[in-house]
Amino acid sequence: METLKYFLPQVWFVILGLFLLLYVMLDGFDLGVGILSLTSSNEERRGILMTSLSNIWDANETWLVLMAGGLFGAFPLAYSTILNALYIPIFMMVFGFIFRGVAFEFREQAKQKIFWNLAFGAGSFVAALGQGFALGSVLKGIAVDEAGHFIGTTFDWLSWQSALAALTLIQGYVLIGSTYLIWKTTEELQDEHYRTAKIAAWTTLIGAILITITTPIFYENTRSRLFEQPFIYIFAAIPLLGVFLIRQLLISLNRRQERAPFIWTILLFVLSFLGLGLIVFPYIIPPKITIYEASADPSSLVIMIIFIGFLIPVMLFYNLYQYIVFRGKVTGGHYE
Amino acid sequence: MEFFSDSVALSRMQFALTAIFHILWPVLTTGMGIYLVIVEGLWLKTRNPDYYLHARFWSKFYVLNFGIGVATGIPMEFQFGTNWAPFSEAVGNFFGSVIGFEASWAFMLEAAFLGIMLFGWERVNPAIHYLSTILVAVGANLSTLWILTANSWMQTPAGGEMVNGKFVVYDYFQAMFNPFMVNSVLHMFFATLETSLFVIGGISAWYILQQRHQAFFSKSLKIALAAAIAVAPLQIYLGHLSAEQVYHYQPSKLAAMEAQWKTTPAGKAADWSLLAIPNEKAQKNEWEITIPNGLGYILEFKKELSEPVLGLKEWKPEDRPRLVGLIYYSFRIMSGIGFFLAGLMLVSTLQWLRGKLAAENISQQRWLMLAWIFAAPLGYIAVESGWIVRCVGRQPWTLYGQIRTVDAASHLPASNVLVSLTGFATVYSILFIAVLFFGSRIIRNGPNLDLPIPSLEPAKPAVDTTPAEFVPNERPVEAQE
Repeated sequence: METLKYFLPQVWFVILGLFLLLYVMLDGFDLGVGILSLTSSNEERRGILMTSLSNIWDANETWLVLMAGGLFGAFPLAYSTILNALYIPIFMMVFGFIFRGVAFEFREQAKQKIFWNLAFGAGSFVAALGQGFALGSVLKGIAVDEAGHFIGTTFDWLSWQSALAALTLIQGYVLIGSTYLIWKTTEELQDEHYRTAKIAAWTTLIGAILITITTPIFYENTRSRLFEQPFIYIFAAIPLLGVFLIRQLLISLNRRQERAPFIWTILLFVLSFLGLGLIVFPYIIPPKITIYEASADPSSLVIMIIFIGFLIPVMLFYNLYQYIVFRGKVTGGHYE
Repeated sequence: MEFFSDSVALSRMQFALTAIFHILWPVLTTGMGIYLVIVEGLWLKTRNPDYYLHARFWSKFYVLNFGIGVATGIPMEFQFGTNWAPFSEAVGNFFGSVIGFEASWAFMLEAAFLGIMLFGWERVNPAIHYLSTILVAVGANLSTLWILTANSWMQTPAGGEMVNGKFVVYDYFQAMFNPFMVNSVLHMFFATLETSLFVIGGISAWYILQQRHQAFFSKSLKIALAAAIAVAPLQIYLGHLSAEQVYHYQPSKLAAMEAQWKTTPAGKAADWSLLAIPNEKAQKNEWEITIPNGLGYILEFKKELSEPVLGLKEWKPEDRPRLVGLIYYSFRIMSGIGFFLAGLMLVSTLQWLRGKLAAENISQQRWLMLAWIFAAPLGYIAVESGWIVRCVGRQPWTLYGQIRTVDAASHLPASNVLVSLTGFATVYSILFIAVLFFGSRIIRNGPNLDLPIPSLEPAKPAVDTTPAEFVPNERPVEAQE
C-alpha cells in the first residue's frame, strides 16, 4: 500500500505530462500558425493557413481540456491552487481561445473577414502569451501556505522570469507552426515559412539559453537539484542535445527539406519538456507541494487509470487516423 | 453597490452567465448529431440524394454551433479552478475525475471524427464516413452523460462522505449512479433531441411557408415530427419523474418550485399554485391562483400526499433557496413549453394522418407552419429554465447538504472577477449577435441542391489514396455558392 501511495501519483504525473506535451506540440503548431497569420499579407494565404488547421484545431485543443480534467481528478489541490493563483493568465488564454475558436467558422461565413482574421491571429497570440506566463510562474513557484492554498496576490504571475518563459514559448510555437506549414504548403508560402522558421529557430535558441542560464542562478531549490548526482549528468546532457537538435534543424532548413524540420522541432519540444519535467518532479506546485501531497485518493487514481489511462492508445489511434485522412499539401487550390 | 464588491456573488454571476450561454450550443450539436446519423443512414439505405443534401445542409448549422460550443465550454472547465478552488479541492476525488472522463470519452471522440464528418466526404468511403458521423453523435451524447453525472452528484451526493473537508469516495459506482443520475441524463438527452427536432422543424416550416423547396423541407419536417411523436411525450414523463425525485431528495427545492411556504403533512391534500407572486420577506404568496387539491395529483397522481410536502418556512432563511419567484416561474415556463411542444406534435400528427402534410399541399398549413416557427426557440428556453430550477433551486448549497456556495468560492479580489465577468458579458454579446447573423444568412441562402453526390460504390479503399479536391479558404464545395 505504501508503494502504491508513491507509485500512483507518479503514474499520473507521467500521464498528465504526456497530455501536456501532446498539447504543447499539437496546439503549439496550431497557435503558431495563428500567430504567423498576423503577418500574412493576403486573404488567399490566410485562407490556406486556416484550411491547414480547420479539421484538427479542436482535437488539438482537446488535449488541454483532457490535461486539465486529468489534473482536476488526479491532483485536485494543484488544479485549484494553480488556477486560482493564475487567474489573469488563465483568462487571457480562455478569451484567446474563444476568439480564435469561433474565428474558424465565422470567418468562413463573413464577407468582411478582417475582424475574424484579427480574432484568429490575436486570439492565438494572447492564448499563447497566457500559457507562457502560466508556465513561467508555475516554474518560478507559487506562494502557498502549509495546506497548499494560494496566499499570493493578483499579479504574482507577472515577473521577468515568467515574461521570458512566455516570449520563449511564443517563439517555440512560431517555430513549430512554421515547420508545420513547410510540410503542408508549397511554393511562395513554403518559402516564406522557411524564412520564419530560421528566424524562430534562432530566437527560440536565445530564449532557451537564457532560461537555462538563469534557472540555476535564480531558483535555489532547482539549483540544489541540478547539481545532485546523477542529475548533473542528465542536466548537462539536455542543453548539449538541444544545441545538436537546433543545428540539425537549421541544416534541414538550409537543405530545404520538407518534413525533417518539423520532426527536429518536435524532438526539440520533447527534449525541453523532459528537462522541465525533471526539474519540477516531484513537485506539482513548486516550490512546496509535491505530487504525493496534492494527489487524490489512491482509489480515485486507480479509477482514472481505468477510465482515462486505458483510452490513451485509442485516442492516439483515432487522432493519428484523421491526420492520415487529411494528409497531403494544402496549396492554392488543392490538397495534393 | 454591494454586489460589485462581493467576489462570491460575482463568481456565481459569472458561472451562471457562462453556463447559460454555453449550453445554447451543445444542445443543438448533441441533438442534431443524432438527426445527421438518421439522414445519412437514410441516404445510404435509400440512395435518394435528397438525404445526402439534407446531411450537407444541416451540418452547416452543426459546425456553426460546434465551434462556439467548444470555445465557450473551455471557460466552464477552468472556472472550477479559478473561481471555485475550495470546491474543486474538496470534490476532486470524484467530481474532478468525471470531468476528466468527459474529456477522454466524449470530447476527444467528437473532435477527432468531426473533421472527417465535415470535410471528409471525398476522402473516405461512405461506410467510414457514416461511422464518423455516428461517432461524432456518440461523443456529443457521452458528454451529456458525464456532465449530467457530475451535476447529479452535486444534487444528490452519494458513494462516500465528507472527511476533514474532502469528499472521500467509498464506492465509485454508487457515486456515478447517484439517485438523480439516470433520470437527469435521460431528461437532458431528450431535451437536446427535442430542442433540435423543433429547430429543424421550425426552419423547415419557414422554407415551406416561403414556398422554397417545399418537397425537400417537408422531408425534414416529417423526420422531426416522426421523432417528436416519441420524444415529446416521453420528455414530459421524464420531467415528472425528475420532479418526483426532487420531492424526495431536495424538499427545499420543491418548496421553491411550487412556492409552498407552509408544510402539508402526509395524508393531507394541498392546493397547487398555478400562478403566484411569492414574497420572500413576508414568507407568503401575495396573490395566487390555485387548483384545489392539485399538488397531490401532480406529484403522485392522487389527492392525498403520501409524504409531507415541506414548506419553505421549515428552513431558516439562510438554509433555503432564495429567488423563489425565479425558480417558481422557470419551472412553469419549462413545463409549459414541454406541453406546448407535445400539443404541437399531436396537432401536426393529426394533419399528417389526414394527408395534409404532403409536399403539394403542405404550404397551405399556414397556421401550423407558423406554430412550428414559433416553436423553434422554445426548446432552448425550456432547457435554460430547467437548469435555473436545478441550480438556483439547489442553493445555498453547491454540493447539496454538504458544501455551501459561500464556502465553495475562491477568495479572489472582487475586481478580478468583475473584470472577467465584464469580459464574458461583452464577448458573449458579440458572439450571440454574430451567430444570429450568420445563422440567418445560412437560412436565407438555403440549401445547395446542385452539390455533386458522392459515389456509393464500395470499390474505394478505406483511405482514398488519390488526391482529392480541397479548396482552401472555403469549404469543399458548398461554401462556393
